[in-house]
Formats: sequence, structure tokens, C-alpha cells
Amino acid sequence: MTTNTKEACETCPIHDAAALKKLGVDMAEFDYVVALAGNPNTGKSTVFNALTGLRQHTGNWPGKTVTRAEGGFEYGEHKYKLVDLPGTYSLLATSLDEEVARDFILFGQPDVTIVVVDATRLERNLNLVLQVMEITSRVVVALNLMDEAERHGIEIDDRRLARDLGVPVVPMIARQSDGVPELLQAVSEVANNKTLSKPYRVKYTSPELKRAVEKVSKEIEAAYPELPNAHWVAVRLLDGDERIVEALRKGELGDLKHGDLEQRSANLQVFGNQ
Amino acid sequence: MYNPLFALLIAVLLTALGILLFTPERGAFWKWQRTRQLTERVLREDALKHIYHCENHNEIASIDSLAGAISISTNQAAEVIESLQELELLKAEGARFRLLATGREYALQVIRAHRLYERYLADETGYDEVDWHQKAHQQEHNLSPEDIATLSARLGHPTHDPHGDPIPMSDGTIIYPEERIALADLAPDTIARIVHLEDEPESIYAQLVAEGLHIGQEVRLLETSPKRIRFLAGENERILAPIFAANIAVIPISEEPVEEILPGYPLSEVPIGTEAEVVALSARIRGVERRRLMDLGILPGTNIEVEMSSASGDPVAYRVRGAVIALRKSQAAHINVSTKA
Amino acid sequence: MTIEKTNPLDNILSTAQSLRWEIDVDFHEKLTESIYTDAAQIADRATTRPEEKPRFDFDRTLDKIITSKTWGFPLMLVLLMIVFWLTISGANVPSSMLATLLLDTGHPFLKGLAASIGMPWWLDGFLIDGMYMATAWVISVMLPPMAIFFPLFTLLEDFGYLPRVAFNLDNLFRKSGAHGKQALSMTMGFGCNAAGVVATRIIDSPRERLIAILTNNFALCNGRWPTQILIASLFIGALVPAQLAGFVSALAVVGIALLGIFLTFLSSRFLSKTVLKGEVSTFSLELPPYRPPRIWQTIYTSIIDRTLVVLWRAIVFALPAGAVLWLSANVIIAGTSIAGHLINFLEPFGLLLGLNGVILVAFIVAIPANEIVIPTIMMLTVLVSGVTGVGEGAGVMFELESGMETMALFQAGGWTLLTAVNLMLFSLIHNPCSTTIYTIYKETGSKKWTWIASLAPVIMGFAVTFVVAQVWRLIESLL
Ligand SMILES: Nc1nc2c(ncn2[C@@H]2O[C@H](COP(=O)(O)OP(=O)(O)O)[C@@H](O)[C@H]2O)c(=O)[nH]1
Ligand SMILES: [Mg+2]
Repeated sequence: MTTNTKEACETCPIHDAAALKKLGVDMAEFDYVVALAGNPNTGKSTVFNALTGLRQHTGNWPGKTVTRAEGGFEYGEHKYKLVDLPGTYSLLATSLDEEVARDFILFGQPDVTIVVVDATRLERNLNLVLQVMEITSRVVVALNLMDEAERHGIEIDDRRLARDLGVPVVPMIARQSDGVPELLQAVSEVANNKTLSKPYRVKYTSPELKRAVEKVSKEIEAAYPELPNAHWVAVRLLDGDERIVEALRKGELGDLKHGDLEQRSANLQVFGNQ
Repeated sequence: MYNPLFALLIAVLLTALGILLFTPERGAFWKWQRTRQLTERVLREDALKHIYHCENHNEIASIDSLAGAISISTNQAAEVIESLQELELLKAEGARFRLLATGREYALQVIRAHRLYERYLADETGYDEVDWHQKAHQQEHNLSPEDIATLSARLGHPTHDPHGDPIPMSDGTIIYPEERIALADLAPDTIARIVHLEDEPESIYAQLVAEGLHIGQEVRLLETSPKRIRFLAGENERILAPIFAANIAVIPISEEPVEEILPGYPLSEVPIGTEAEVVALSARIRGVERRRLMDLGILPGTNIEVEMSSASGDPVAYRVRGAVIALRKSQAAHINVSTKA
Repeated sequence: MTIEKTNPLDNILSTAQSLRWEIDVDFHEKLTESIYTDAAQIADRATTRPEEKPRFDFDRTLDKIITSKTWGFPLMLVLLMIVFWLTISGANVPSSMLATLLLDTGHPFLKGLAASIGMPWWLDGFLIDGMYMATAWVISVMLPPMAIFFPLFTLLEDFGYLPRVAFNLDNLFRKSGAHGKQALSMTMGFGCNAAGVVATRIIDSPRERLIAILTNNFALCNGRWPTQILIASLFIGALVPAQLAGFVSALAVVGIALLGIFLTFLSSRFLSKTVLKGEVSTFSLELPPYRPPRIWQTIYTSIIDRTLVVLWRAIVFALPAGAVLWLSANVIIAGTSIAGHLINFLEPFGLLLGLNGVILVAFIVAIPANEIVIPTIMMLTVLVSGVTGVGEGAGVMFELESGMETMALFQAGGWTLLTAVNLMLFSLIHNPCSTTIYTIYKETGSKKWTWIASLAPVIMGFAVTFVVAQVWRLIESLL
């Protein structure tokens, strides 16, 4: 079961935007790392700005965020570091910005990954959500641009979506900061392990593919029992992704245990220099 | 003051001189540099490749065949053979030679470099198909083992070069695909898939490319005679002289009618405002481009609506899974669709 | 190479490798298909669409016009004109106000202050006449146009117009062997070339990205407009009756900007036919839906983020440039200042190009920031021509009250219409500023391409001005 964010929030004491403290670029100390992923132009930077109080460049053309931006905010008892990633349609292909996004979700090991989703193009956006959920189960879906959806007469049952995906879904209008408190609540619950996500797994239509993936992922599980996403790693190996082979070789994937903060920020720096 | 006409003339002369010297490829300076690079190493590696190919095709490699294949004099060829023997890559048995295991491995590494580089040119650069072979032929001698490893990794360890030849693996093993036969040897009316277009000699390859033939394309043989070979490629009939057809290798596949093999028609021909369903992406869309289109959601079964053309007519915007995506005509021409009644 | 076969990773890799040989060709296709199938299913279950599909009328109608064969290109030109015109005419008043404040009031005030605390002349000259004046000039010349241009540009960007420009221009770029998204980096270049170079990251193909980087310099950046505007209004506007002068000089500036676009196509084509040979790769660009921009927020953020950042950078470079300039005009060797030596040395070459030594030296001094070309030229002209009663002394930038005075100064420096035209051309076609050069180095990671990007435009600039000068003189001698 996933928590229903709205219901949980109405009763919870910190359902209050005032609990949010925007920290701008001050992120000297932080308890959790949160990544912002999503297709291009879905409002990631807008959400980023709403949470951090920064003014990361937003604009209406796909591809304008070409580097990572970082900022901080405080919510409840905790400080969060928020990372705005370049927009991508997928984590499979091999373009520079996709690599930046993919590497961060994979090696930066964020505590929570917010996938910002365009409510008017759900199908296209869920493609990425499903891929992110293969890497990490600590996902919150921000269902943004609800005003646009309404303008086009599209209705979205966010509870149904949350149930099907197995992760929290928060409807938003980021430009008006609508839904920010709910998003914060959902993020903090995932970060503090109060939400148990059961992410949906993609069903492979081709039996041949399914067999191959199963075979390799069994071997990976046996060799690296602590790896959280053996299945995904298997797919990447079968797709000939050298970056993953290298990561396995160097132990970047296998040995990192969740919660090992120091180790993690060391890793962040490595990839921050790219 | 000086005469401006005079100044202009001098400038024109200087420019002409610069062009003569430095035109890429053809300029005197570059030519000079290339002959300098034609070192012993290059000759040795080309010779190894030649002998390797001969052995593979059960032909006999001789000094003459070598001289002919890499266009050097027989004297030079003999010298190269001698140096290969000294390096213990080759053994002479009377008039013919045999590659030793080390020589075989060496030859395979050069072939690996060549085919990987062709793959790279095809997938990641905009070079024309006809240029691939020549470029790769130059590069195969320059790539270090590390370069080759990096290149292979970067391309996702491809298994075949763009002509359909298998790429030897780093340990020198090479896997040949299932039985492949020459197009001309196909029984009439059987359907087959093109698995290889021989890229040498270049003139023949260029002709095949110009005919629109490519790897992965499915063909049906209609008629063979000593003078010509007639077959269907996609929906079009082609007629080739046997010497051309001999350079096409195919694998027979089960007999479905050719018309259904690449069904539908190109997306580029769908009029604006019409909806269509994708039925296949041509094998001509390769590498990164193929992945990108798929990641954008252009897959068999996807609904596409032709939205609008740009002010200059060429890229056309399509509505795909809710988003409007602009594609060039040359890309849309390789996406086959069917329109709903 | 010896591989220990007991390593579990190698076993896994070899399993994967052999499986890949079995399913290689369509693995990616099958994978993507599976994911999209599931995504479609989940999306479908959660979405209720309106019964009859509403046509997104506004978007579609607008797109029909913006991408129409008849209106698409004229509309682009008109928008370009409007943005330039608003920038040029809107910047006039605040620019002169800033100049009054910083130059006419601030400078004497600081000088007085320095005198009252008994600062030695060289320190006061170095700090106030050199560094302060150069910076003040840059601020008053540059801040107003930027504060107008960037918000206007951001509004268009937020609205969703830019991708349509790329869509419309792609055909031209394709014919030049370049990528349609180069239109986006080129438009960014009108603001700042360094920003334009960074924006080329949206181009996937390395070959086409390099073309976009190398040719971004031909997008006339903000730092070069003041030069164009001033020279156009002094020399070109003066050719026609007074009431037409404004329009004609604006036209001249737009003409130079269009020439830059033309050169972008030309040099892209040249590159793709020679050193960066190759067919055009692919192009897939999403055209996002139009979204009404938030006007006030846009103005606020674009002033804070873009304008101030670019301005800060200009100041950082103007400070040392001012210092160097002051020193070069005041350090005397063998009876002449360093600047004087340099000018004398470059004079013959400058004249051959239809320019002069002063202009060439000014362009060298202005490598860090294109904005200081004009003030440097004015100051150096006073220095060498010995005009009296103008300016504030050696190595000090200044502004003249009226165009007449400026014109008189230039004429004393031996300027003709040819000098003016070639100055405009050379300002369009010369090396990128140092920030852009550094950005190119960071983006390409290659010294070779950075050198090419820096030197090729200078050589082109020399060639163009040279030919124009010779032809001009030839015609003059015939008339
Ligand atoms: N109508 C509407 N527009 C939004 C919303 N969120 C973002 N936008 C606009 O969508 C565009 C893209 O936003 P941006 O944050 O740059 O997207 P990113 O590419 O995902 O970082 C901008 O023009 C935003 O102003 C929203 O909730 N409603
Ligand atoms: Mg962004």
C-alpha cells in the first residue's frame, strides 16, 4: 500500500507551506539528497525554484537546462539538498544530458527522486517514470501542469495512478506553487522511510527478452546480493552499456550501502566535475 | 599610395596558392603527408589482412595477388612478406604462405579496428556510406588497442559493422552468421534478408547503395539468368548485372509475401492533417538515431498525426503520443506507416 | 591479457555478451516497446479525455501562421526588427542618464576626492582614469540595452517561439550541413556568444555541435551592438535626410546582423564541406505547447540572472583593460607612449584594410570585452591626432556631448565612410571575446578547435575588409 498523500496531509500537523524554509544555495549540511528528473519542459526547474527560492533558468524549449543545478531547502526537522537534472525522454539512449541525469540517479543515489510529469502527456512521461522506478523505488511523481490539463479537458485520477505505479503521486501547478506542501510531505515521507513504495515493474512483451534478462539478473543477484536494482543492471548489460560494466568493475554500484552519507557525498563530487 | 588592383591581384594569387596546398584531402600538403604515413607498418598490416581474407575464402595468397590487392610493386610485396616472416607472423610453404596463429590474431585486430571504425562512422558521424570504407581503411592502422577498446565501449560493443560483417571480439574470436549465400544463388521466389553488402570494390558498392539496397532489407528473387538478376526489394523491382549481385549476401527466410515484409508506405508521404500508424522502422535508421526515435515513442503500433510543415517545407511536425515532434523528411522516409481506412 | 575466469563479474559479462549475440538486433526496440506499452496502459487507466476531442485551436492556429510558407519568414524578420528597435531606441535615454551620472558627475567627483587626499597623479590616473572610467563606460553603454534585450528575448523564449524558429530555419541549416537546433544556439548568441556556445549542448552530433560552436561568433552579440549603432548613426545616417536618418541607421544595423546570419550559413557550409565533412545527421525537435509567459516574473528574473551576470563579467574584464589602456598611454618609451608605438606599427596594415592603426589596437585591447572598442578608439584617436580641447587626458575614456563632436574627432583621425563601413564589418567578423574563447575551450576540450575558433574569424575579417577596401578604392579612382 502507498500512502495517499492528500489524506495523510489533511491530518498531519505540518501541512503548512510555512514549514518550508528555502535555503537557496546554502547546502553546507544536508540530511537528504533529492533529485528532480523528468522529460524536458515539464516544469522541473519551476519546481526547483519553488522549493529553493533560487531562480534557475526556465524557458519554453526542450533542452535549455543542460547542466545540473543544486539548491537547498529545509522542511520539518530536516535539511534537503535538491538537484535539478537536465530533461530526458529516457534513460536508455546515449546523449550527454541523459548521461548526466542517469548517472546522478544511479551513482548519486539520491534519497528521493522526484519525477516531474506533464499531466497532458501522461503516456510519454510515464515511459521515463517506469525507467526511473527500475533504478530506484524511492520515487515521488509530481503530476505537474494540472492547469493545462484542465484547460484541455483532461481529467486525471491521481489516486488510481498512484496505486498503479506503486509510488506517491502529487498533482501540482508548479508555476503557482500549487501542490508544493503536498509534494514536500510526500518527499519527506519517502526520505524518512514512512512510505513503503512498491514500484510497478515493466512486463516484457517478448519472451526471448524476458528470458535473457532473467538469466543475467539471476547471476547478478548471486554475485552482488546487496545491489538494489539487479534487474535494471541486467537490462543495461544486455543493451551493451559500457558505463555500467565499468561501474560494476569499480564497485560503484555494488558496495554503496544506502545511508552511508560521507561515501555518498564523495561520490557526488566525482560526478559533479563532469 | 599603392594601386588597389595590384593588391587585389597579389591577394588572389596568395589565396590560390593556399588552396592548392591545403585543400583537405586533395591539397599538395596533405598528399605529401599521406605518402609519408604509408609506412612499413601499414603495408604489413594490409598484407596480413589480404592473406587472412584469402585463407578465409580458400584462395591462394601469392606475392602477385598481394601486390595487386594493395597496389604495390612485386618487389615491395616480396619485401613485406619477408619482414612478416622475420616477425614470425607468417610461414612460407613453397610459393604460398600461411598465417601463423600470431599473424592471424594480428590480422583480426586490424579487421576489428576497421569494422568498429566503420560502425562508428555509420552511427555517430554524418559521413556518407560510400566514404566509410576509405576512412576506416586509413584509421585502422592508427588506432591503438586502448583506442579500439574505448571505441567499442562507446558504441555499446557492437557485434556487426554497418555492412553486416561480424566484428571480431577483443580476444580475436569471430562469429560468422548462419549460412549466408549470394543473392544469385537463391532459388526463384524465395524470400531472403540482405545480411551483407561487400564494400570492395568501391565502385560496385556505391552502385548498390545508389540502388537503395541496405542491410536488413528483405528481397524476393524473381529471375536469374547469366545476364541479369531480377528481384524485389521492398516494393520495388531491381535489376542487377551478376557481377553486382555477387556482392550481395543474403539469408533465406520463411516465405511470407514480400509486400508484407515492409508493409505500408513512408511517413513522409502522408498528407498533413492525416493520422497513420507506424508499422516498421527501416533498418536504415541506425544507431543513436534509431534509439532516439524509439525513446521519443515512435515504435511499431504508435499512432502518428501529421501536424504541420515548416515554413521552408522540410522538417514536418508530427503529433506522437501527445507531443509535437519535428522530423526531417529524410528520416520520415524511413518510417513506414499504414493509414487507417 | 589474462583474465581470471573465476571473477563473477566476468562470468556475468560473458553471459550477457553471448545472449547479446542471440538477440542483438532488436533488443533496444523490444525493450522500449515493452516500456511504452505498459506506460500507455497505466496512463489510459488514469486519464479521462473529453468525449469529443477539442482541437487546441489557439495553438494550432498560431502554429499555422508562424510556420506558414508565406508568413513564417517575414514574421521572424519583423520580430527581429522589433526586438532590435526596442532595444536601440529604448536604451538611448537611460544610457545617457547613466553616462551623465557615472562619467560627467562621478568622474570629476572622484578626481576631486583623490586630489583632496593628496593621491599621487599616477595612482589616481591608474585607478580613476583607467579602471573606473573603463568600467563606467561599459556600464552606461551596456546595461540599458541588455536590460531591455534579455527580458524581451526571455518573453519570446517562455512563450515557446524559439523552437518554432529552429523548426523554420532547419532546412537552411540542413543545406549548410548543420543542425536545425543551431538556430537556438545562434539566437542565444545574439544575447551573448558565450551563452550561445554553452547552448550548443542540445545538439547531439559532435560534428554539428562543433560547427555550431565555431560559427556562433557570427551572431552579433550585445557587446558589439553599441559599436554598430554608434557608427551607423554617425556615418550611415548622415548620408540621408535627417528625418530618415534613424530608420536608415537601424536598417544598417539589422543589415549587419543579417549578414552575420548569412555568414553563419556560409561558414557552416564551408566547414561541413571541408574539415568537418559529413552528411547532416538527424534532427528531432519537440515543439512544446505555447505557454503564456509571466511577464513581471520574466522581467525580474532575466534582469537579475542574465543581465547582471553578463554585466558582472564585463566589469571584471573592463577593470584590467582600463588599467592596461591607461598604462599604455602613459608609459613613455623613446618619446612616444607604448600605445603610440603599437599604433604606428599597425598603421600601414590598418590602412591597407581600410581601417587604421588606432582601430586595430582598440580591437586588441578590447579582446576581454567588446564593449570598450568605441571608447578606446576615441581615446587613442585623441592621443595620436593631437586634437585639443577634447577628452580628459592621455589614457582616459570620455564621452562627447554630441554626435557632431564625435564626428569631428573621427574626421580629425582621418576617417572616411570606408573606415566606418569596414569598422562595422570588422566588428561583426573578428575574434570572439576572451570569455567566449574560454567557454569554447571548456566545451570542446580541444586546444586545436579553440585556436581555429579564435583565429579563423580574424582572418576572415581581414579578408573581407581588405577586399571591400580595395574594391572601394578602385571604384573611387575610376569615378
Ligand atoms: N501553465 C503552467 N506552466 C508551467 C507550469 N510549470 C511550469 N510551467 C512552464 O513550463 C515551461 C517549462 O518549465 P521549466 O521549469 O523550464 O521546465 P524544465 O525543462 O522541466 O526545467 C516554463 O515556461 C514554465 O513557466 C505549470 O504548472 N503550469
Ligand atoms: Mg529545466
